[in-house]
Amino acid sequence: MDNLNLTRRGLLAGSIGAASLLALAACAPSAPPAASSGGVAGSKSKIGAVKGTLTFAFWGGSDGETAGFAYAKKKFEAANPGSTITLKILPYDGFFQGIDRGITSGTAPDIFRVDYTTIGKYSAKGVLLDVSPYFSASESAAFLPALWEAVKYKGIAYGVPHQTDTTAIVFNKAAFATAGITSVPDKLSDAWSWDEFSKVATKLRKTLPDSKYPFAYDWTAAGAYRWSSFIYQAGGSLLTADLKKAAIPSAAATKAMDFTKSFFDKKWVPANNTVKTTVYSDNFFLNQTVPMTFIGDFLIPELADPKDGYKGGEWGTTFMPRDKSAASDLGGNAIVARKDTKNPELAAAFLKFLVSEDSMKYFCEQAIELPTLKSLANSKLDYVNRPDAVKVFTEQAATISTTVVKESTVASFATINTVLQDQLELAFHGQSSSATISAIAGGITSALAS
Amino acid sequence: MFLLPNIVMIAVFTLLPLIFAFVISFQNLDSLGGWSWVGFGNYVKLVTDPVFWQSMTNTGIFTLFTVPVGMILGLGIAVLLNGVLPGRTLFRSIIFLPLVVSGVATGVLGAWMFDQSNGFINRILGSVGIAPTAWQSDGFWAMASIILVTLWQRVGFDMLIYLAGLQGVDPSVQEAATVDGATGWQRFRLVTFPLLGPSTFFLLIMNMIYSFQVFDTVWAMTRGGPGFSTTTVVSYAYRTSFDEHGPQLLGYGAAVGVAIYLISLAITAIQWRFSSSRDQTD
Repeated sequence: MDNLNLTRRGLLAGSIGAASLLALAACAPSAPPAASSGGVAGSKSKIGAVKGTLTFAFWGGSDGETAGFAYAKKKFEAANPGSTITLKILPYDGFFQGIDRGITSGTAPDIFRVDYTTIGKYSAKGVLLDVSPYFSASESAAFLPALWEAVKYKGIAYGVPHQTDTTAIVFNKAAFATAGITSVPDKLSDAWSWDEFSKVATKLRKTLPDSKYPFAYDWTAAGAYRWSSFIYQAGGSLLTADLKKAAIPSAAATKAMDFTKSFFDKKWVPANNTVKTTVYSDNFFLNQTVPMTFIGDFLIPELADPKDGYKGGEWGTTFMPRDKSAASDLGGNAIVARKDTKNPELAAAFLKFLVSEDSMKYFCEQAIELPTLKSLANSKLDYVNRPDAVKVFTEQAATISTTVVKESTVASFATINTVLQDQLELAFHGQSSSATISAIAGGITSALAS
Repeated sequence: MFLLPNIVMIAVFTLLPLIFAFVISFQNLDSLGGWSWVGFGNYVKLVTDPVFWQSMTNTGIFTLFTVPVGMILGLGIAVLLNGVLPGRTLFRSIIFLPLVVSGVATGVLGAWMFDQSNGFINRILGSVGIAPTAWQSDGFWAMASIILVTLWQRVGFDMLIYLAGLQGVDPSVQEAATVDGATGWQRFRLVTFPLLGPSTFFLLIMNMIYSFQVFDTVWAMTRGGPGFSTTTVVSYAYRTSFDEHGPQLLGYGAAVGVAIYLISLAITAIQWRFSSSRDQTD
């Protein structure tokens, strides 16, 4: 046992040594680089010929998305001889961990995709290329205003809004007929009120067996923020207009919380359609546990897939319910470039190319996603799957208000979303509305202060 | 000289990360490298964080049910498969098989099986007239499902170690006990089981460390929910530090990691203490 004693001593010595190294490790704290402007807006909008090689990383959300990016790469390289864009397709899980490690070690891809609710983190830390100089006023004005705002931080654009998506309702037509639901809104202005939606859910509940539920909602995991749509519909907001404080508790928040908690009390949603679960709202619809579900338009290809898609019969789409107003969540992604990319001109040129009308149109048609250019948003795209369904989502996207965009893109949104995840999970398992709202308000306050 | 490569590897891949973890636990560090010293701030936050203590309790409950039950099952199966049983090699392989499957794969499989709406388990229960169990929306049953999947995965390891221990038991000792009139149960309880002492100690410590560090199965099956009812210490550390859509508090996560390290160190110290006395009595 002598060797054991030695090892024990060695380990203890090692532990003490590790602790003592703390003292040696004292050095100046590292502050993140400050956000800065790369020049006057529009001053470099005529980029001219570009050459060189850059890497563009994105997650392969679907075959359609990959095809869309591959199309843009091919066209860009053909239009700019001597330029090469190396596509790096990565899994979604771990994507941003890889980006973050790459940024800290200087090995991150030059250009990468980022969702609107995450872009604020990178913009605020000053690691992204300021693209304002590369876009003239007319080029900036070509985007839907709310989505151009989504890529801005303190008035500076740090990326391009590439596409958007939002939530709407998908339903099984036969189940609706069985429940006696004969009229489904086909115009945004006719969207169900909360009361009308409740009546629909009640009718479905009556005709479904105990093992089935009227609907499922897409607030699972990182989608927790989609619950906020109910606050916006009720006429409230999460944050104050200056984005510096929580705008809750409020009557709208209480109304939204009571309404959504009632989904569980009335058995309108499966008991495991909560936040911390492995079953998402599209899974509930695909396995026919629910005849109606709230999903993002990017999931239409999954439902429409002839082999593995929905097998429950004909399905249609309709709008999110509305209360004082209509509202839906901000989904979709921007494309950004690293501030320290070796070839900012080439990076900016590729970003501009990705959001050119032709590239965006092809991408959206293939991936069943919504464009961010006004010209495309107002025209008919040839979607490869269920264009009738996409039409509903396109109309629904008009309810993504400037308030929704501003609140969803604050730098500390990830922390706010985590607060929402934890507190909604507890609320859906019995925590009172007042306790939940109070805890969310406290969490938002500390997130904004950090 | 021959030890140098090993020393370098241990230093680079084990000691340095350990030291950095200690250092980071005294920092406010974000995922993009911005940091500042916070002294014992993360540890103060740790001891006042109710979710941390709930995760400690959950980990304790998980350990309490997985370690002894797994070892008893493993021992029972090892005794059965140590005898002359047709196809025993096949049975051993089948029972050991889950151990070679990754924890995440096991967790995903568990999530499918225990899906409370369409899962295999509830369908089986339903076919014999038992009402569906809320495996995913009730904290008690969610923890039970994780424990069951863990036992399924780990019992093969317990069996293997006990099997090796049983094959090291001198048959002449058993024969002497038989000659002295000991019954089968007495031979097992008073002769065989005490001789399996080193195996039992090894399994106890390994299983305790494994249970204390459980993450993959929990994350794949429940994400720590419902509520925080299946959040274990490591899953909490992971979510706090590495959830890409979370706050990514690497300093605080490191403090949780240090707490896990110290507890594992304590478990190891207990092992050494008991192993030493066992060896002395041997």
